[in-house]
Amino acid sequence: MRSEFFNTLKVEWLKVRNYRTFWILLVVTAACMPAFNYVIYDFTDNSLPKFNGQSILGNPFSFPAVWRTVPYNSGLLVFLPAILVITLFTNEFSFRTHRQNIIDGWSRSRFIHIKLLEVLALTIGVTILVALTCVCFGFLTKTLSVRPHWNDVRFIFYFFVELLNYLMIALLIALLVRRAGLSMGIFFLYMIIEQFVVVIGRNKYKKDWVDYLPEEVTDRLIPQPFGRQMMTSAQISLWENHVALYLSIGILYVLLYIFFIRWKFRKTDL
Amino acid sequence: MSAILSLDKISKHFGSVKALREVSFEVPEGSVFGILGPNGSGKTTLLGIVTDVLRASGGHFLWFGQKPSGDHRKQIGSLLETPNFYHYLSARRNLEITAVIKDKPKGDIDRVLKLLKLYERRDSKFQTYSLGMKQRLAIAGCLLGNPPVLVFDEPTNGLDPSGIAEIRELIIELSQQGKTIILASHLLAEVEKVCTHVAILQQGVLIRSGSVASALNQEEWLEVSATDLQALHSLLSRLDKVEKILPAGEFLRVFPKEGLTTVMLNRLCFENGIILSHLRLKKSSLETAFIELTKPGGN
Repeated sequence: MRSEFFNTLKVEWLKVRNYRTFWILLVVTAACMPAFNYVIYDFTDNSLPKFNGQSILGNPFSFPAVWRTVPYNSGLLVFLPAILVITLFTNEFSFRTHRQNIIDGWSRSRFIHIKLLEVLALTIGVTILVALTCVCFGFLTKTLSVRPHWNDVRFIFYFFVELLNYLMIALLIALLVRRAGLSMGIFFLYMIIEQFVVVIGRNKYKKDWVDYLPEEVTDRLIPQPFGRQMMTSAQISLWENHVALYLSIGILYVLLYIFFIRWKFRKTDL
Repeated sequence: MSAILSLDKISKHFGSVKALREVSFEVPEGSVFGILGPNGSGKTTLLGIVTDVLRASGGHFLWFGQKPSGDHRKQIGSLLETPNFYHYLSARRNLEITAVIKDKPKGDIDRVLKLLKLYERRDSKFQTYSLGMKQRLAIAGCLLGNPPVLVFDEPTNGLDPSGIAEIRELIIELSQQGKTIILASHLLAEVEKVCTHVAILQQGVLIRSGSVASALNQEEWLEVSATDLQALHSLLSRLDKVEKILPAGEFLRVFPKEGLTTVMLNRLCFENGIILSHLRLKKSSLETAFIELTKPGGN
């Protein structure tokens, strides 16, 4: 069983070892997460008006605020690892190697489980990168409290759930569409359409259910961090009261995607 | 001979289209088993089912007398439809992936590349290969680890005449090594040269299966000629052991009843003062027999 697992990992490693696109996308993802945060940091630090020598947005990149600022900013770039997931998975359909791997002796479960594990591994890797980015910015800026506690670090976990949710959606679209360009198009289009529905539904029709749509529910795990001092305590406690529900529904979505992806790949013609 | 593959009432529907209808046959160990049929008859669908890329709508099948599994497929070298490899990887890297999936030693990669004449281009990317080279690489992948069973779906696709002849020789050689080869093809002249057994499909229905001789019931006749063709025709038409005579240009086709041999016919003509200038036993080609079987009302 153990050797079968390492054998499967080896095959996946052989697939990407000499694949230039994979490494470029990985480096772009790894570079853009801290770089994008630096751009925002630079903007809040230098481009906004100051009050009493401090930015009007406070110190969003100092401890402990950085634990929510960096995950929030990084959440805007989830499309980068999603492109990687879509590229790798649709390659198997384009080259018809998803069939060949099965013909050569893998079970369908083995094939799809390793893809799900890859998504998990990528999510963990990007989450670690985001956590390290938090630490770096925290130490680079004026530090208010170095020692993190759960109330701060939980946003790293929320980011993990948000990213996993987005990447599972990307994997699901890739499985159903099977073509790289079209899958990416649908992924982006869905992001836009859902945001449109959320904004219209919430602001115009005052509907609460839009908060629980597949992407919005995990977006709401990390609220907009800038100008937090301007939020009322009622607004903050409203979010605190709902966060467990957002988290539960987000995890439920992820489990549903995993269940459907497994079922679809195992039961249908390849 | 035990059965390597047993099919029991395999059916496959694609929506309202019935691609296979309760197909049952057995592939004996050590045979070269041809699956024949016109385009769209269900050959590739059938092979897709036994290699687990398609789900049967009904029936079941056994590999090596057991419920099929991934471990069985590792013992089978399969080429289904098109060569499926990672375009951005070299031939060697692609076969490395195949070897790891099949639990076969990497040391065998060079052997199969040399066998299929791809060794010199082993480090070229798959996307730079010609169609024929891609097909040869797929066959090389099938031969990795020297599996006892091979499944080839149109293995000569994209090959030039010399490539086709090489693959034919390879199949004969592999068969002589005792391997079981399942071969789907519409190139009947090629199949005729290598197959010991056949299954014939038409619109998803199995119309015959068994050894080539028993399944196809190929017709035999004697082709004869003499200086005076009319005298020869007149003599032969008086013989009880002759079923019918058909003129064929400068020859006569004599369809014998049971028991008439070339020796007997030659002697008979000689004793009646006719010297044969041509005498040959001929058999209808697989193509002719196949067309006979698959024409409406032919089976």
